[in-house]
Amino acid sequence: MDKSCEQIEKLLVDYADGELSPSESSRVAEHLSKCERCRTTSAALQRSLELAGIVWADGLEEIGGVGMAKERGVRRWRWRRYAAIAASILVVAGIWIFRLTPTGPKQAEPTLAEIEKEIEDSGRAARLLAATELLTEYPDAQSIVKQQYRYIVKTYPQTPSAAQAKLRIQ
Amino acid sequence: MSEKNREVAGEGGRAGGRSSQSVLFETYIAELDRLRRIAAGMGLGAADAEDALQDVSVKALRQRRKCKSRDEAVRWLTKVTVNRCLMHHRRRKRFSRSAAEIIKRRTENAVEPAGTDAKAIAAEELEIVRQTLSELDGSLLTTMALRYFCGLNSTEIGQALGLSASAVRSRLREGRMILAKRLMERGIEP
Repeated sequence: MDKSCEQIEKLLVDYADGELSPSESSRVAEHLSKCERCRTTSAALQRSLELAGIVWADGLEEIGGVGMAKERGVRRWRWRRYAAIAASILVVAGIWIFRLTPTGPKQAEPTLAEIEKEIEDSGRAARLLAATELLTEYPDAQSIVKQQYRYIVKTYPQTPSAAQAKLRIQ
Repeated sequence: MSEKNREVAGEGGRAGGRSSQSVLFETYIAELDRLRRIAAGMGLGAADAEDALQDVSVKALRQRRKCKSRDEAVRWLTKVTVNRCLMHHRRRKRFSRSAAEIIKRRTENAVEPAGTDAKAIAAEELEIVRQTLSELDGSLLTTMALRYFCGLNSTEIGQALGLSASAVRSRLREGRMILAKRLMERGIEP
């Protein structure tokens, strides 16, 4: 790579972002019209940003409508949150203990990973539900509340919290 | 006015109205879409983003007297969200959905399906970029996501992250060149 290409390469990102002065910008444009190597770099900068945009947009679609809590009483929120998680874990653990107790015809044993996943999901769902319940006190947050209930039902369908959220929607 | 008196006056002023007390949380509600974009730009999955944003909302409640203006609150929220996302990076894989999965979902939603060759090339390129984003240093990824996915300019990013605008530009240049060079290794037509 010759020296002028090296200098131009350092300016390509700023050039693409429109951050250069008019004189610098026309210097880069002139170089690009003559240099295939720098044109390739410029095209790769553009293409990689487009593809990064696709990856980011996909992530945003996955994230959907998460992230609510309530305005007052952090301490109360925290207690409710922990209580809800603990209760939820107890319910799920209880169900698994019942299932694992050899009383009826033998079923396929769940793996530890499956049990762990179910407990983790129940905890998350319970925490979200607790946060959403607290939001119900605010009249202007009702659309967010419904959105949160639907999110819980859709994302954690097998949990006790999803069943409760479904009831709230109805 | 002495330092102590100023503090007391400040507390009294802040305690005066409900809106001044909750400006941070109100801004959180208003800016939630942008905070979700930050989490997506930083590569968090749904569950991790949920955890991160719940943490931010609780922190916003606990420190609701911290910010007096909306601009200040936006900067605070951006900074705290970025930090939470970076904490998740230490524990979990980011950008975990493969290029094939991304393309499958896009194809399902597309009006006109792309040709097989175009899809194969796009899948390969997309996987390179996804992989590179997942390996990129957190400081570079943060500035790129805030600039190109959340639409903040260099000055706004600098204010939120405690950097100068030129330091932000320098990070953007470094991050973008890493992505472009990885793509060029595969061979890209100008």
